[in-house]
Amino acid sequence: MDLTPLVEAAQNSALSEWMRTSLKAVAIINALHVLAIVTVFGTILIVDLRLLGIPNVRRSFTRMHHELLRWTWGAFGISAITGVLLFMVNAVTYHRNTAFWLKMATIVLAGINMLVFELMTAKSAPSWDKGVIPPNAARLAGALSIVLWVAVIVFGRWIGFTKGYDFTIPEEVQFDFSAPAQ
Amino acid sequence: MHDFAEWLGSTPLSVAIQSRLWLTPTLQTIHILMIGVVFVSMLSVALRVLGQVRTEEPLTEVWHRFAPWFWTALGVMAGTGLILTIGEPVREVSALSFWIKMTLIVVGVASALYFGRTVGTAAATVSSVYSGRARVVAVMTIVLWVAIMFLGRWIAYDVEIWESWHLA
Repeated sequence: MDLTPLVEAAQNSALSEWMRTSLKAVAIINALHVLAIVTVFGTILIVDLRLLGIPNVRRSFTRMHHELLRWTWGAFGISAITGVLLFMVNAVTYHRNTAFWLKMATIVLAGINMLVFELMTAKSAPSWDKGVIPPNAARLAGALSIVLWVAVIVFGRWIGFTKGYDFTIPEEVQFDFSAPAQ
Repeated sequence: MHDFAEWLGSTPLSVAIQSRLWLTPTLQTIHILMIGVVFVSMLSVALRVLGQVRTEEPLTEVWHRFAPWFWTALGVMAGTGLILTIGEPVREVSALSFWIKMTLIVVGVASALYFGRTVGTAAATVSSVYSGRARVVAVMTIVLWVAIMFLGRWIAYDVEIWESWHLA
């Protein structure tokens, strides 16, 4: 599937053009993206650690899971929206970037891990709600989730160091590398 | 300050950091993971005051659950942040965002120390519903750490954000 026309359309859109020419838009959207992704990571980490029995299993899993879910999803929503906007700014460059695709793939894997946990493993949650170590499947889901979300942040940071700059030198520009006249 | 930064940037330690191209992105990644732990720890305590999470636990217990994570992650951030600054001293001291961020961190650390010392003495019982003033402080704490994160990200965009206030 060739995504190039779609990617180019995103980059040539008026919104993308506005973000590129506005001085502050990208800086603000980027900061929001970091705020949102670390909130996703931190809130999920609390649930994952609870599945692993860290620091203990005293609290009701169902209750803490329910409490944090809206914060995680709210932050994920902001991450996704700001992420799409940042992608649009330099869509062609990101489309070619390996770290970007590794990050997207890792988010999908984290989503699959979450779905398996929510649809299967969490069904038995009432039997290990508190005071007992959760079953192996739940602990595995917690450990996988930590690894995958750390990887999402690693690849995200790597995009910034590998994307390079997407510009071409206009034909009429002539470079003169001779020494300037004294 | 600029002269000091120029000198620091030319020291063998700074050159050693600069020459290891994998080091800066690695330290930045650890720094970002740790701000997640710091922020969500503080957020959890603030949301407990606001009655949003962990209302079945006294506030003291919530603080003791998160304080070790908060301080440990903050310590790691101080270490990674220091190495990053030694690696790019001119970039950091030229950024107004950097100086405002450092000031806000001092406020954040001082208020966390004060809170940690007084939370045990407060009537932090399970059923505690907190007053208007405590709620205002909780919201201000969240805003403070959000501002620290924004300013951290804005060191890279200092000219765009502050324009002529940029210190270079």
